[in-house]
Amino acid sequence: MDFLSRFYSSSIGRKFFVAGAGLSLCGFLILHLSGNLLIFKGPGAFNHFAKTLDSNPLILPAELILAGFFLLHIVIALIVRYHNYQARPIGYARYSVKGGRTWGSRTMTATALIVLAFLVIHLKDFRFGNRSEGVYQLVVSCLKNLYYAVFYILAMLSLSLHLSHGFQSAFQTFGLNHPKYTPAIKALGYLFALVIGLGFASIPLWIMMGWIK
Amino acid sequence: MDKMSLDSKIPAGPIQEKWDRHRFDLKLVNPANKRKFEILIVGTGLAGSSAAASLAELGYRVKVFCLQDSPRRAHSIAAQGGINAAKNYPNDGDSIWRLFYDTVKGGDFRAREANVYRLAQISSHIIDHCAALGVPFAREYGGTLANRSFGGAQVSRTFYARGQTGQQLLLGAYSALMRQVGQGSVQMFPRREMMDLIVSGGAARGIVCRNLVTGKMESYAGDAVLMCSGGYGNVFYLSTNAASCNVGATWRAHKKGAYFANPCFTQIHPTCVPVSGSHQSKLTLMSESLRNDGRVWVPKDPKDKRSPDQIPEADRDYYLERRYPSFGNLVPRDVASRAAKAMIDEGRGVGPTGLSVYLDFSDAIKRLGESSIREKYGNLFDMYYHITDENPYRVPMRIYPAVHYTMGGLWVDYNLMTTIPGLFCLGEANFSDHGANRLGASALMQGLADGYFIIPYTLGGYLAQAKLPKLDASAAEFKEAEILATEKIKKLLGIKGKKTAADFHKSLGKLMWDDCGMARNEKGLKNLLSKIPEMREEFWKNLTVTGSGEELNQALEKAGRVADYLEFAELLAKDALHREESCGGHFREEYQTPDGEAKRDDEKFSYAAAWEFTGVGKEPSLHKEPLTFDSVHLAQRNYQ
Amino acid sequence: MKFFLEVWRQKNAKVQGGLVRYEVVGITPEMSILETLDVLNEQLLEKNEEPIAFDSDCREGICGMCSLVINGYPHGPEKASTSCELRMRHFKDGQTIIIEPFRAKAFPVLRDLVVDRSAFDRVMAAGGFISVNTGNAPDANSILISKKTADKAMDAAACIGCGACVAACPNAAAMLFVAAKISHLALMPQGASERDERVLNMRAQMDKEGFGHCANEYACEAACPKEIKVSHIAKLNREFLRAVFCSDK
Repeated sequence: MDFLSRFYSSSIGRKFFVAGAGLSLCGFLILHLSGNLLIFKGPGAFNHFAKTLDSNPLILPAELILAGFFLLHIVIALIVRYHNYQARPIGYARYSVKGGRTWGSRTMTATALIVLAFLVIHLKDFRFGNRSEGVYQLVVSCLKNLYYAVFYILAMLSLSLHLSHGFQSAFQTFGLNHPKYTPAIKALGYLFALVIGLGFASIPLWIMMGWIK
Repeated sequence: MDKMSLDSKIPAGPIQEKWDRHRFDLKLVNPANKRKFEILIVGTGLAGSSAAASLAELGYRVKVFCLQDSPRRAHSIAAQGGINAAKNYPNDGDSIWRLFYDTVKGGDFRAREANVYRLAQISSHIIDHCAALGVPFAREYGGTLANRSFGGAQVSRTFYARGQTGQQLLLGAYSALMRQVGQGSVQMFPRREMMDLIVSGGAARGIVCRNLVTGKMESYAGDAVLMCSGGYGNVFYLSTNAASCNVGATWRAHKKGAYFANPCFTQIHPTCVPVSGSHQSKLTLMSESLRNDGRVWVPKDPKDKRSPDQIPEADRDYYLERRYPSFGNLVPRDVASRAAKAMIDEGRGVGPTGLSVYLDFSDAIKRLGESSIREKYGNLFDMYYHITDENPYRVPMRIYPAVHYTMGGLWVDYNLMTTIPGLFCLGEANFSDHGANRLGASALMQGLADGYFIIPYTLGGYLAQAKLPKLDASAAEFKEAEILATEKIKKLLGIKGKKTAADFHKSLGKLMWDDCGMARNEKGLKNLLSKIPEMREEFWKNLTVTGSGEELNQALEKAGRVADYLEFAELLAKDALHREESCGGHFREEYQTPDGEAKRDDEKFSYAAAWEFTGVGKEPSLHKEPLTFDSVHLAQRNYQ
Repeated sequence: MKFFLEVWRQKNAKVQGGLVRYEVVGITPEMSILETLDVLNEQLLEKNEEPIAFDSDCREGICGMCSLVINGYPHGPEKASTSCELRMRHFKDGQTIIIEPFRAKAFPVLRDLVVDRSAFDRVMAAGGFISVNTGNAPDANSILISKKTADKAMDAAACIGCGACVAACPNAAAMLFVAAKISHLALMPQGASERDERVLNMRAQMDKEGFGHCANEYACEAACPKEIKVSHIAKLNREFLRAVFCSDK
């Protein structure tokens, strides 16, 4: 396994881990969102789905693996960030280069930290919160709080911004860049970021508007 | 003047067999002994890099020095057009003999036949080796190498990599060099300037360098020294050469006893972007390949100041096509440059300064389409646009001749050894195989031939028979040279006058261009020879250099190089004055045919003039190497 | 034209530096930014002040020696241009122009605007070559390379090694420089036999020199005076993955 540790200790290898874990998490986001959207079908469907999930014996190992991906993504990205910070000890008085830099790419660390903060609160309130009255009721009662809902929406917009760069960037890291398909990957990345962001944000929005009670 | 002739060590036998026989006759160094020899190489252009790589591959220990921050910056990188080789891939009648013949004739019969023949023989191997090194040469659709016709050749023998052939060949040689650096067989010393050559026991045994970052003097001892430091075109201040191209290394070797040959053979390239103002630091070359599709013209009437698109065909003078119907726009460089000068002297020059002629692509664009022209010359057109803010796809380019290449250099024998045993000189720095005029795409060929395929043999031949006592860099010779070099630095810093080195360089350049440029005459040269010593005197009284010698000090570096030019320029002018004939790049107005072509004097001047240094400002002594032409019939060049 | 130049001045590698403001007059639109510095330097020399040290050599955009960050852009705001090719006509009369050295841990400042880019040479020495000794080559036409491949290799080989990619990269990564060489040599059949060692060794040296990680923001591509594409970085990533997972290395 020597080659793996050498792979990990290389700049390209580290990015590969971040990208791989990131894309896997994108898959999780799709699953999570599909489940969440059941909320629009009413408390019955949503709570039933939650219960089915909770009672599945595979949920614990799945959650552990998921946590592993999160940790891998976050920890290695922070290590990369630290190395990058060190690579330019003295900065520029003025820095103007744009190139492929987008709002998404520039704010990767900031959006990551917001999403991380959200994740912690989110886990505390929903995963480990009081689910006795049903998850539907738990969600609605939390998000009725205006501040909570606004924070939720902002966090989802951050996630969206994070994905707008992260999704397409992962493909470049895997070495997939060709005029034949790269424009499609980019478009797909933006679409994905939009769908995930709006999809998750729609729930607090609907609750704020009083459309979900 | 000394009439002593020089031993060029040309091997006996028929010209086709000389190199083979010579390689057999040269003594060999035992493979196990090669690592006992230390070779010092000054310069990392095509010649230096290729020599360093090849010698290290053989097992020699090599140290390489260059001025820039990396060996890859050497000015070979700027060569655009291509590299000649007698491959005859296009099946259009090329052969070793034809390349040899064209080069001797193109050089106006002032090159050494045996060297030129060897160059033509080696040319094909260079292409093979460069391709193996991964140089991305242009290809045909079937995957074979593409060729183009270049610089007046009537066969297509020029290999190229877009308009960046020099870059790609240099990066190829650089990669071979860096491979040896990685393996530890070459030690690379960038940002070093050679201050002096160490001659001990009658042989070149080392160099003293200034570390340009720390200012420290450093001594390096070796068993042989290779000068690969390029040409001296910057003596004219404005040239197509890079800022750091200078005569320093060769001049300093010349002062230690290496003869300097044919310094007056300087090449003026016809297609450069014209001068725009006095601030200008360099001139930019537009590849000669442009003349394959561009047509050169000026208005027929000197008073015609209309914009070029308003001038109808009937009022244009395509003077190259008119004067040289069979070669047209593809006449050799010296001929094209002089013709442009003649037009400008007649007052028919164009552009805001009147110092340019048109190079027009409109016919080619009509015939081949803009996209085809873009594919061939896109990068050159972009470069022109960057500089002039004019779009050459719409308006004709304006071009003017500029100093480009210097055929003269340290005199070397057939083994590329100078008159100092153990001091070899390769590439543009030697007086070379190009005679009085170099053909397009031949400089790259010569630099790489010298480095890859000649020096590995001839250096071995020298080392195998030389009896070299042990010498290391702590020897007294080195300490003395270090002290002298340090004193020179102190002297430059201590003048504290009013004029900068650039001021002197500009004034010298203007003098040189006016009196020793495209056309020369006795009166002008004598005027020049009276002014150079005055300027040199003023330099040493009125120069200003700030800072100290113990730091990175670019003003100081510049001053040292200008000091050399002020000495060297005098030799160049003397050589031009003594050569009472016109040949190649050397055009003496007194010696021309009635229709204005160069008139050679084979009776009196069929020799290479090798000058021996006798002291600054003192009359140098002349040594002649007679040139005989057994294989190519001496003839007046005729491109009509 | 008249300009105000704010130039980074630093005596040597050991001391701290800072921006110093100068006024320079008598500039014409066709002058380059380097010629503007030349003029300023002559003015400084005449006042017996030390001129600004900066690297430049060929002054026609091919040697890769010039290395200025001009108003926040490596080689200035013009596309596909080196510092030496940047003409003053692109600036407004009276404008303030900030000139800084390339910034990266791997490119320490030696003086003023001069930086040490020998890290690039060491990366090249680690594997940026094809191991063939002089004299070993077969006939050049015995290796057929399609025009398309040769053109693609040439696109990558056009790199001038200036380091603008590193200067532009928010993370001071050298991926575009390394990728250009990897891609050039991997595309050529001559270079294929060493492709695994090459990418492993060059990558290792690149990291050792202290360059940052690629974050796929493509600032390098925007700054590259030779317009080398980031698709070569993707190729470098592929080559690396191949070498790690599919070779015996």
